[in-house]
Order: sequence, then structure tokens, then C-alpha cells
Amino acid sequence: MKSRPTSSLRALGGALLVSALALTACAPGSGTPSEEPTSGETITDVTTDIESLGDVELVVWDQEVRGSQNDALEALNAAFEDKYPNVTINRTSQANEDLQQQIALALGGDDVPDVVQVNNARGDMGQYVAAGQLADLTPYADAYGWTDRFPDSVLGKVRYSADGTTFGEGNLYGLPQTGEIVGIFYSQSKLDELGLEAPTTWDEYHAALDAALEAGELPMVLGNIDQWPALHVFGPLQANHVPADDIVALGMGNAGASWLDEGNVAAMEQFATWGAEGYFGSSPNGTDYDAAWADFTTGTGVFLPAGNWLGADMEAVMGEDLRFMAPPPGLDGQVATTGGTGIPFSVPANADNVAVAAAYIDFITTEEAMEIIAENGGMPVLNTADLAPESGVQNDIYTAFSTVSEEGTLLPYLDYATPTFADTAGQGLQEALDGQRTPEEVLQAFEDDYAAFTG
Amino acid sequence: MRVSSTERMLNYVVLTLFALFAVAPVATIFVTALGPQLGIATGGLHWGNFAEAWAQGDFGRALGRSLAVAALVVTSALALSVLAGYAFGTMRFPGSTLLFYLFLLGLMIPAEAIVIPLFFDFQAIGLTDTIWGVALPQIAQSTAFGAFWMRAQFRALPENLLEAAAIDGSTSWSALWRICVPPLLPSIVTVAVLMFMWTWNEFLIPLVMSPYKTWATAPLALNVFQGQYTADTALMASAGVIIAAPIVVAFVFGQRYFINGMLEGATRG
Amino acid sequence: MTTPPSRAEVRAPRRWGRPSAVAGSRAAPYLYLLPALVVYGAFMLYPLGRTISYSFYEWSGFGAATFVGLDNYTSLLGDRAFLAAIWHALVLIVFYSLLPLAVGLVLAAVLRRGQVRGLGIYRALIFLPQVIALVVVAVAWRQIYAPTGGLNSLLGLFGIDSDIGWLGSADFALSAVGVIGFWLETGLVMLLLLAGMTRIPGELYEAARLDGAGPVREFFAVTLPSVRGEIATALVLTIIAALKTFDLVYMTTRGGPGTATTVPAFEVFNRAFNHKQIGSAAAVAVVLTVLVFIINVFVSRVGEERRPR
Repeated sequence: MKSRPTSSLRALGGALLVSALALTACAPGSGTPSEEPTSGETITDVTTDIESLGDVELVVWDQEVRGSQNDALEALNAAFEDKYPNVTINRTSQANEDLQQQIALALGGDDVPDVVQVNNARGDMGQYVAAGQLADLTPYADAYGWTDRFPDSVLGKVRYSADGTTFGEGNLYGLPQTGEIVGIFYSQSKLDELGLEAPTTWDEYHAALDAALEAGELPMVLGNIDQWPALHVFGPLQANHVPADDIVALGMGNAGASWLDEGNVAAMEQFATWGAEGYFGSSPNGTDYDAAWADFTTGTGVFLPAGNWLGADMEAVMGEDLRFMAPPPGLDGQVATTGGTGIPFSVPANADNVAVAAAYIDFITTEEAMEIIAENGGMPVLNTADLAPESGVQNDIYTAFSTVSEEGTLLPYLDYATPTFADTAGQGLQEALDGQRTPEEVLQAFEDDYAAFTG
Repeated sequence: MRVSSTERMLNYVVLTLFALFAVAPVATIFVTALGPQLGIATGGLHWGNFAEAWAQGDFGRALGRSLAVAALVVTSALALSVLAGYAFGTMRFPGSTLLFYLFLLGLMIPAEAIVIPLFFDFQAIGLTDTIWGVALPQIAQSTAFGAFWMRAQFRALPENLLEAAAIDGSTSWSALWRICVPPLLPSIVTVAVLMFMWTWNEFLIPLVMSPYKTWATAPLALNVFQGQYTADTALMASAGVIIAAPIVVAFVFGQRYFINGMLEGATRG
Repeated sequence: MTTPPSRAEVRAPRRWGRPSAVAGSRAAPYLYLLPALVVYGAFMLYPLGRTISYSFYEWSGFGAATFVGLDNYTSLLGDRAFLAAIWHALVLIVFYSLLPLAVGLVLAAVLRRGQVRGLGIYRALIFLPQVIALVVVAVAWRQIYAPTGGLNSLLGLFGIDSDIGWLGSADFALSAVGVIGFWLETGLVMLLLLAGMTRIPGELYEAARLDGAGPVREFFAVTLPSVRGEIATALVLTIIAALKTFDLVYMTTRGGPGTATTVPAFEVFNRAFNHKQIGSAAAVAVVLTVLVFIINVFVSRVGEERRPR
């Protein structure tokens, strides 16, 4: 700038400062209608008589964009509209990540959907509950008998105390349709080739991994460029070293556990060793998640620790050769692994049609609904063992899910713990994998995040 | 000017190497798009991937929306920029420098910094999920650049042009359209193309401003598509080519005009 | 593109007369500016002001907000993630601005000296990366950087056996993202410089040649000093692009591995949409905007001082 603009710049800075100060006079949120927390407001007029409500447009935001899930929900929506001709469903579906970001902004306003899929995590559902933005569905749970329909282990993942501080018990803020379980995929022919059996204990698993490494195979497939996939490898491993109750407390962000105890250190050290010694190949952090499992279908790697949701797509390529198992029993001989529910369907506190929304959520989680989900290739959260296909990897998956949910423990996703834990854990596990930080440093970061949140 | 043959060879080598570097990633995605889908072992070129991606991704409607948004943004921002540039470039008035720097600031504000308050305001007045909700913030962004660009263009006009117009008895309005705009058309076209490109490729603003996805533009459709068929790199790449194609085709056919306009425009000031 | 503000500063007379030969009144310039100013003010400046005001609150984007004064700013000072992000953005300036400038100068000089067949085609091909949507660019480069991707295959041709996933390597990820930026920006920079060079009068070169200057000396004696303005413009635009980078990081590395590639704009987005810390996100956004502003004022001034009188 020559001479004069300097003063202009200064003037501009001054102008901005003045306008900024003027604007600070009004608090954020003043443009948004729901400044007053609405929590504690209980629903009083519970109605299940939907026909009597006249013409209703039910606005549903979901993230069931994948083929099988989308087909199931479309079928259910059509059936719901048939049952209640006065209801029209206005459905918007989008990728989960986009949806979760959208909800954060949209729930603050008046123009909210009637039904929305909200991630169970504290960073999502927990914060909305604390801000009074989700309707407590407990009255409807009584009216429709949801507590009989769902086991407590499932409902626990959608329960928060009214102020959002306790996760796992309290009011009910949604219902899931599908189940999820993280386990280990493998190729039967590959195991046969290496002369291995599917491992039944962690020792056998470690031995199989060593044998694979020696044979020049990639022991475990992991595409971790997006940071979250490593959580699904670490979760089951952690269950072999840490009591399930502690993992539940850590994962749900409830006080009373510590990331720094022996078990966690052992788990993290094992994980770092796997990274350093090439059990995930040369560069798990530089590999795409989808590229990784696509490679697995064409013969790369021996084991693929991952969630059941990959089953259908991989089966399409690998057929009967693809198998799935829950991780071997951990401490105390109990099976415990990361898993739980699909993203639950919730109702915003400001929704126009809470009664219809509750009826809808009821409708899409009935036994018949579970059958429709299973027919379309999803894994229903209820009656899983009964609805299991007769053979193939889906049979493995359904069996594993019902075993773990009935006899073992479905551990929460670790990123449920705090609003920032997805980043803390994702970054930390990447750093442990490539040795940027020691296991102790990583665990310290976990503990800091957890302790700061649980206070 | 005489250039030695060694130097000429060297020139070709440098240019060709760099052109290869520039084109290689584009070629990569095109080649991937023509590759086999997962689980299909056959070789050859799979042109069917494009048809399949097109049908599954609902890209027809997304491209239509992108076109509508881009048309609205470009025409509005262009009109505002020409008027503002005219004032900045040909007139003297108190506060002109300050106002100009105010516009310049707009080039530096990251979109992430303003989408949140904008969303709350738009929601309050019912602009979300309308074409205006998606377009207005982008009109403002493009105008910031457009005013900056058009100012330089108007300043580069010969000084006596306006005086001659004054002697003819022109008003400032008619002088703008009759005298000033015609010689500036090439650079106006260039800035229009730039605005079009930016709008077409914008991701965050349509993502946030259209919660019901009624105005989800092409890059967003690609994101949804990725959620649906993420596994298949061949289909993903095909979808990517579909999204990029309109711009690339427009660029290839218009590049001579566009780049010349840019070369001409950039020398003013 | 055009020259930076520094070159085209308004020569304001001391007394304000009629705004121009054809303007009927003193109000005329303001009337022409009004529509742009209204739209720009309403949809850029006003929300920016609101963002500034958010930055003094602790607020999740919904529910009640608590006024915390400057806390959001002071806590940034000890915030590892934020400081790392700022550092990464500064490193990216090398890739987005300085390298494209160096390479762009060479390319433009080569193109200017002419006698290159297919000049138009080269120009267009080198500019091509600017045209393609970043979502698509990210897909392409993720493939190139994959352990079995194009880059490692290329290295294999030269006998270098590599199976690094470049975007996942703590040592290389930031540079790998930077190279994408270099790829994106070089065409733009080249075109800007070429525009400046085509304007240089031929006599200057003839004079240099009479002095016995070869291509290299000619470049430093004639070409380089003549395009200082364009260099400053190119730097301003590419530095803005470097500091504002968001989509590219979001779609290639998500800031990883660990925090190796986080950038400020990514921090803004992540804090606002994922951590739901609107106040902290706003503070980062404000700091980022100020940083962009300061660096650009600095660049413009340096460009100005070194200009021949």
C-alpha cells in the first residue's frame, strides 16, 4: 500500500471493532427461537389414536442411504402410510455425517423434523438432551410397551438422565431399528491355505496372526485414513484386557473408571506393537477404509476386524468363503465386543406431531418391521437369532450378535464418551499405530479428555 | 526473436512434463471410472459405469439445481460487481478507499466463519431450502471478488473516454452501458466464468443452507452417492467425472476465449 | 486476474468535486455501490460481526449461551490443536504460494518467449486443475497417494520400492496435501504472470539482447522486475487460498494422521459442527480472518517497497 491506505486500514479495523462491540450487545441464540431450555417438560397428552389426528405430514430425516437399509425403510414407510391414510411421510435421507451436522443447527429452530436419527453419543444425543431439544419418549414407551419389546442392554444406549449427565439410564430418547456388532471377518479358504483354524481364544488369535505374518500374508486389514476405523480394532482388543464394566463407563463417559489402569496400558501397547511390527501392513493410516475391504474381498489379508455392516457388500463378491466371528472371549471368559444399535430414531422436543412420530417409531420397530429389515438384508436389533438366514456370513453375524447381546456384553463405541472423544480417540490411535506417540502418551490424552468431561 | 534449438527443446521438455503432471490426476480418475466394478473380473472399458452412476445417483436433478444456482449467482453477482466496479473505477468520492478495502476483506473471510450465523438468520426468516438461501451467501462472496476485479477493469479504461461521453451529454448510467461495458466484455466474461466455477464447486454453503436437500447441488449429490456406493471406486470415479464434466467441457470449448479474456483482464490496473 | 490494491490506489484529490465527468451528483457513486454493499453487508459482514460476537460466548449452538469474555481467545494460546493448525497453514503457504510462484515464473517465461507450438494447449492443460471440483480432486489424489496407488507405481519405475500410504504418513502427509495445493494453484499463478509478461514492451528485451544478455539474464534483468505487481497479486490470492484451505483437508486426511494435517479452517468446522463449541469455533474463525488480513497487508507492502520508482 502506498501512503493513504494505511490510515484506511486502520479506519477499517476501527469500524469492525465498533460493529463487533455493538453486536456483542446481543447474545448468540437471540436469532434462534428456542433459547429457553425445554427440558423437564413432560409429555402429558399421550395419544396412540393416530386416525383421530386428521391430515398430518410427518417429516422424517434419516441416514439410511445404503441399499438394504433404504429398501427396508421405504417398505416400512409405505406400510405406515397404508395403515394411517391421514399421514403423509416427507422423508429426507442423507449421509450420516451430513445429517448429524445438520441436526446440530436445525434442532435450535422451529422448523424441526418430527422424526430424526440422532447418534447415541454424548456429543450428539447427550448434548441435545441437556439442551432440552429431544422429547422424552418414556410415556410412549409405557403406552406401546417398548420396555417389554427391547432388552435393557439395548434401551440403555438410548437412555439419558433429563439433564444429560448420566448416560445409560433415565429417560428414553429414541429407538433403534438395527443391531451392530464389531467382530472379525475372515476368508475360509485363506485360513485353509495357511493351515489355520478360526481362533477360539485370544492366544489362538495371536498365534494365527503370527503364522500369517510369517507366511508373508497381511495378518489384519485396516484402512484407517479416516481415523475412526481403528476404534473398531481397538475396542475388541481392549475387552481382552479391561473388565467390561470399566469399558462401559469409559465409553459412555460416566465417572468411575480410568484410561490409565494396567489393562488399558496392556491393550494399547499390544495395539501399538501390531502397528509397529506390520500386522496391519506398511501403512494402515494411509489406506482408505473402503479400498481396504475391497482388497480383502480379492484376497489381500487374512483377518478383517470390522463391523457387520460390511457383510452384505463383501458377501456379494466372496460368497460362502466369507466368514464372520465375534472376537474370542475376553477377561472372565465372557464375550464382549464393540457394538450395539444402529442410529436411533428420536423426536425433537419442538416437533409438530410428537404423537404421530412416536407411532411411527413404534411401527418401524415391531416384530413385523424386524422381519422386513431382515428380508432386505439388514440386521434387526430384535429377534436376531430367529431371523437369521440359514447360511452364509449373515448367519455368522446374526449368531454372533445374539450371543454377545444375550450372553456377553455389547460395549459402547468409544467415541460415545465425550463430545470430543471421536477426535481424541481417532487421532490417538493413529499416533499409536505409527509410533508418533507412545501408548502412555496416547492414554494420557484419552484420560485427560475423559476426566475433563466427567469432572 | 531467435531462440536456440537447445533452448527450444528444453522448453518443450519443461512444458510437457508439467502438463503431464497437471493432467495425470484427471486421467487417473477417468481411467478408474472405466475400470471394472468390485467383483467383476472382466477387463476392457466399462462405459456402462457412467450410465449406472447417473441412474443411481440422481445426478440429473442435482446438475439441474447446480445450473440454476450458478445462473442466479453469476448473473446477480455480475450485475452488482459491474455497478460497484464502475463506481470504484471511474469515480472519486469520500470513503472510496475504505469501502474498497471493506470489499477486499470479503476475499479473506472463510465461509466456515459465516455459515453458522447465516443459517440461524435464514432459518428464522424462512430462506433455508430455497434457492435464495443457497445463492445469496455465494452472491456476496462472488461480489467481493467481482468488485475487486471490475474496479481494475474500469480504471484501465482511457481517461478521456468518460469526458468524451460527457461532452455527448451522456448520463453516468448510459455512459456505463454504451461506452464502458462494450470494451470490457472479454474480462466480464472471464470473471463470470470464474464465478461459475466457484459456485459450481461450492460444498459447504449448499450443505448447510438446504437441510431438506431441496437445493442439494452436484458436489453434495456426489457425497450422498459416496455414502451409498462408497465401496466401488469405479462407480465413485464415474460419478466424479459426471460432476466435473460440465465444467471441464465448458472450459475446453471456451478456454481460448476465457484465457485470452483473463490475460487481457489481468494486465489492466 | 488483476493487480493488487497496492498498485491501483485511488488518487484522491483534497477537495471532493463531482465524482466523475458523467456523474450527475455526488450521490451517484454511492448509488452504484449500494446494491453490492447491501448484499455484501447483509450476507458477509453482518454474519462476520455475529461470528465475532459468538466468539465471546460459550455456546453449543443451541440452548443457553454464557458470556465468557476473551476466554475463547486466551484458551487458544495453549491449545495444541489450534497452534498446530496455524503452523500447518503457514507450511502450506510454501506449497500453495511460493512453489507455484517459482514454477509459474519458469512456465510463464517459457511460454512468453514463444516459438512453442501448441502454446494454447499447454496453457489450457496447466490451468485445468483449477476447473475441477475439489470433491473430485480429492477422490483422484487419494487414489494416487494410496499404498498401491499411482505415486508408488511411478516410484517403482525408477527402481524405488515404496508402499507408503502418503496421506497416512506422519512425515509426508502435510507435504502430500501441499503438493495437491501446488497442483491446484500453479496454473492460476502461471496465467497471472503470463498476463504480466505479455505486456512487457519488446524494446526492453531488444535492449537487453544488445547488451548480450542470454535467456537467464534476460529473465532476471527484464522479466522479473516487470511483473512484480502480478507476483504480488498471485501471492495474495494463493496465500488466501492456503490459509482458507478446508475442503481439501476434510476430504483427504481429516487432519490426520494424528493431528499432522489439521488447518485452521478445518478447526473452525470441526469445533462448530462436531464438537459443538460454537464460541471456540468463532474465535478460531476470527483469528484466522485477522491472520489472513495481516499476512496480505504485509505481502502487499513488501511488493510495493520493492517496486521500481
